[in-house]
Amino acid sequence: MKIAFTAKGTDWKAEIDPRFGRTDYIVIYDDVSKVLSSIDNRSVEDVAHGAGPQTAQKLFDLGPDVLITGNGPGGNAATVLQKTQLKIFLGAGGLSVEAAYDAYKKGTLATFA
Amino acid sequence: MKEIVVISGKGGTGKTSITASFSALAAGDLVAADCDVDAADMHLLLKPDMALAEDFYSGETAVIDPDACIACGRCYEACHFGAIHSAEGFYAVDPLSCEGCGYCARTCPTEAITNHPGKAGVWYSSTTRLAFTMIHAALGIGSENSGKLVAHVKKQARAAALAQGKPYVLVDGSPGIGCPVVSSLSGADYVVLVTEPTVSGVHDLKRVYELVKKFNIPAGCIINKADINTAIAATIRDFLELEHIDQLGELPYDENVTRAMVAGLTIVEHDTGALRETLQDAWKRVRLHVDSSTQK
Repeated sequence: MKIAFTAKGTDWKAEIDPRFGRTDYIVIYDDVSKVLSSIDNRSVEDVAHGAGPQTAQKLFDLGPDVLITGNGPGGNAATVLQKTQLKIFLGAGGLSVEAAYDAYKKGTLATFA
Repeated sequence: MKEIVVISGKGGTGKTSITASFSALAAGDLVAADCDVDAADMHLLLKPDMALAEDFYSGETAVIDPDACIACGRCYEACHFGAIHSAEGFYAVDPLSCEGCGYCARTCPTEAITNHPGKAGVWYSSTTRLAFTMIHAALGIGSENSGKLVAHVKKQARAAALAQGKPYVLVDGSPGIGCPVVSSLSGADYVVLVTEPTVSGVHDLKRVYELVKKFNIPAGCIINKADINTAIAATIRDFLELEHIDQLGELPYDENVTRAMVAGLTIVEHDTGALRETLQDAWKRVRLHVDSSTQK
């Protein structure tokens, strides 16, 4: 299973970025191969409008099963993501990627409805 | 470092007056960010020095190279926005009408047209007359606020707060519920909703709260001019209770608010009575809430 995090850095210690569309990085953990990878999303800074849907497209291309973020996607991004099978968990802003993963495993994160 | 965003949905509820008052109450502890860039006016109260000014680019504008243009008129025919006009046998782009779609460049047989980043305005890093740092921006004529500009202003404010060891970033949010507001709210620890008991005040409060709720951000509300319509004020209180929104306080309609504005002061600097007390109390509640939260 692949788990995606919106983050301000690229490793386990990186802080979760509470923003979805304008997150600096997307960190991906594959719990089968145990590999942590990331993609740089900072180019979204140059997007005047529609940051959410654009990041949603990138996420869709990565194909994770789970997304862990903070505030959650805004209206437009949410409309796109709800058409996929992706499970979204919220409220991890301010935690490290590691702590957010633990919280997800323990089931203490809120789900996006 | 915690980010507190003040929004209202409707204009004219007193959002900026209240944001400026909070900033005066916590002048030593914060960096302010004015993300209400379309109608920025917090600077009128806080008199920032605009020590650092940088151009801000957003979107693109088409430019026709007159040396390469053969005046065929295809771009003129193609433009959906009426942005291309002919002048003395050549064609030129009116940057105010150009949407930067690039259609003209595709029709040009001599590749005389290219898109260039358009200057949208200027952003500033300032020290205010109350000695705290404020990040703000001014848009050029015909330019619009965007999620990009709001994200930029907030990023600069957060960086300044981190560098100075300030515990709060206080954001004067954008009006409405569009892209700039989404960007204002995204990443916030707490939202202060400022409303007034009028039909449009309640309507816009509910609309903007839908967005706050979607983002799972804890919120509190100040009812300004609470005594101008007691029936609608009661409806607002019911709504706040139903949605578990903190009731931060209620301000009466008071001409001292206008007098403070005329004097170029925040309400809490001008008024020493009940208005000041209510705002002090509201700010204390906001602080209590954000200081005790760890996740967002």
